[in-house]
Amino acid sequence: MSALSTPSKILDSPEHDTPDIMKRLQRIWRSYIFRVVMQGILTILAVITFTFFLIRLMPGNPVEIKMTQLMLSQNLTMDEARAMASTMFNYDPNEPVFQQYLNYMAKLLQGDLGRSIVSETPITTLIAGYLPWTLFSVGMGLLISFVLGVTLGILTAYWRGGILDNVVTAIASVLYGIPDYVIALLLIMIGGVQLKLFPLAEMLGGSTPGIEAGFRLDYILDLLFHAILPVSTYVMATVGGWILTMKSSTLATLGEDYITVARARGLPESRLLTAYVGRNAMLPLITRLAISVGIAVSGSVIIEFLFSYPGLGLNLSRAIGQRDYTVMQGIFLVTTIAVVTSNIFADLMLGWLDPRIRLGKEEGE
Amino acid sequence: MDIQKTPENVVLSLRNVSMSYQARRGRVRAVSNVSFDLHAGETLALIGESGCGKSTLILGLIRQLSKTGVVDAGEVVYRYRDGRDTDILKLSDRQLREFLWRECSMVFQGALNSLNPVLRVSSMVYDTAQAHGMDTKEARDRALSLFEKVRLDPLRVFNAYPHEMSGGMRQRTLLALALLLRPQVVLMDEPTTAVDILTQRSIIEVLKQLRQELNFSVIFISHDLAVAAEIADTIATMYAGEIIEMGPVEEVFYRSRHAYTLGLLEAAPRLSAGSQELNSIPGSPPDLIQPPPGCKFHLRCRFASEECKTIQPTYTPATTISDHIVACHHTDEVLAAR
Ligand SMILES: Nc1ncnc2c1ncn2[C@@H]1O[C@H](COP(=O)(O)OP(=O)(O)O)[C@@H](O)[C@H]1O
Ligand SMILES: [Mg+2]
Repeated sequence: MSALSTPSKILDSPEHDTPDIMKRLQRIWRSYIFRVVMQGILTILAVITFTFFLIRLMPGNPVEIKMTQLMLSQNLTMDEARAMASTMFNYDPNEPVFQQYLNYMAKLLQGDLGRSIVSETPITTLIAGYLPWTLFSVGMGLLISFVLGVTLGILTAYWRGGILDNVVTAIASVLYGIPDYVIALLLIMIGGVQLKLFPLAEMLGGSTPGIEAGFRLDYILDLLFHAILPVSTYVMATVGGWILTMKSSTLATLGEDYITVARARGLPESRLLTAYVGRNAMLPLITRLAISVGIAVSGSVIIEFLFSYPGLGLNLSRAIGQRDYTVMQGIFLVTTIAVVTSNIFADLMLGWLDPRIRLGKEEGE
Repeated sequence: MDIQKTPENVVLSLRNVSMSYQARRGRVRAVSNVSFDLHAGETLALIGESGCGKSTLILGLIRQLSKTGVVDAGEVVYRYRDGRDTDILKLSDRQLREFLWRECSMVFQGALNSLNPVLRVSSMVYDTAQAHGMDTKEARDRALSLFEKVRLDPLRVFNAYPHEMSGGMRQRTLLALALLLRPQVVLMDEPTTAVDILTQRSIIEVLKQLRQELNFSVIFISHDLAVAAEIADTIATMYAGEIIEMGPVEEVFYRSRHAYTLGLLEAAPRLSAGSQELNSIPGSPPDLIQPPPGCKFHLRCRFASEECKTIQPTYTPATTISDHIVACHHTDEVLAAR
């Protein structure tokens, strides 16, 4: 009849923290956070290396592309055009790729992402200009979609077989099957062009040209106005998935004994719905949320292109068109970091929501 | 145990209660025509093979059947401490919520999964208290004293998450939680099934002691006849959704009048043999969607005669002095066979 049989797991006794430095290092090595972070860094390095070589395997390089343009537009000979093009970029196509890689990595370690080989602007400046747009639109889309999807998922599961369930589940299944770019195209073609439900031309872009940026109501409203189309696309493209997964997760949770017990304890429905059903049913969705943050940040290329939204995606497609290796590389780096951090964040959040995982981590079980 | 079985101290009274589930093949008649009285301080043990409707009966009487289950007929009359009678089946949803746990609580089958894994025990205590207007301080004090009574380290358990406790600890926590609001009736569905034999002993000791101190009534489901014999005042044997024999524990166990009760006892070689599935009666329980005519046990019964196949036996008092009743056409032969 031991009382709590696991006290040592709950309270780590301070005496064990004595000087023994090896033990300490060992503990850091074994700690969950350390492993997750190391894993993240390794992932980022691997992705950088892989994409570095991959984008240089694409046919054409910036000099050749510019050369062709010059030959066609200014009627130059091939040699004249090549000479002119080479002087226009800070990029030498004859330098061995491996040498380029070493240079790039060396600079990267110092936090220097280099300059655009087309415009010579520092990559960090460029990305600082693109990133907020993408984070704002994708973040808002994902947040709305997640909250809406989780809420509707719980409600449909709770009142299964009712009108709400039938309607919502049907809509969710349809939306779930449509890719995001199709939704964007439908919005443009039907909503904007055919039915003229909204002033399409005015809504494209990140903000109204000429408006002065600043923390003012008219500017903020302008930003929101221009974010409507990409955000609604993200919401519609992902909400179906959230609804369906949350519904099935909730149905599974509703069958758990502790729900029956809670009901028999006479708890009010609201408490039951949140702390007993909702919180448990949401656990499996957290990992999914992390994955979709990554997908959304990197997968916004087509959507931003269609809506001329000046975020990472649009500029990535521009950089690809110009074979601007350093810009591409920079955007891939940011995207990878986004994916990795959102995964780490998801792990921490899961630990916060689920005490079973919290304990497991410290013990390294 | 000295409990008085008088009409005045009945706390829970079931009359002709039937329950069923809607299944794809048809209605599963899980409980048929059950009637009994539970008195103040009495412990009634429901015994019978698995699938005979024990869990359905106690879940249904507090209206906690799963979605496909319904109470088809009957009354479940509960008598409040102030003498007021009410039919649980007729309470509104709000009244039911107030009634649950305050008047009648339950310890469910499968303790391991009965506590919300993401909440501390304290949150569950506070949730329960808040739902019934008990203030936080009182709830905490009451919970701590109950944890002590069930021989747990009160503060540790109060602040623990379910996964930090062993099965036996969780089961005792549930027992304590069931008594939080001082209910008159506690329903227990196999509270000792999922734990090892030592834990089982300690839970039974704790239960006996609590019952003495707090004087609540219990409906207790057990697979284990030894356990039932030890803690029950009254035994009710269920077969295919019906109570086929019921009476004081010595009467039913030592002077069984129903062939099925006898079969159960014979299947458990000695009363102290411990927990084993009761499956040694030849044959298997009947289909509850299309039950056989006559006595539902006749297909497996060695005493069965022609009348058993067609005429359903009615309850008859087994003796004139005790309240031992039985539904069998061959009570005397069964008694003689013992
Ligand atoms: N949700 C359900 N749907 C359909 N049938 C059920 C359901 N739950 C239980 N049953 C059936 O009802 C009968 C009684 O089950 P139960 O009350 O759990 O028995 P016991 O607790 O005595 O083992 C069984 O035949 C079982 O198959
Ligand atoms: Mg059962």
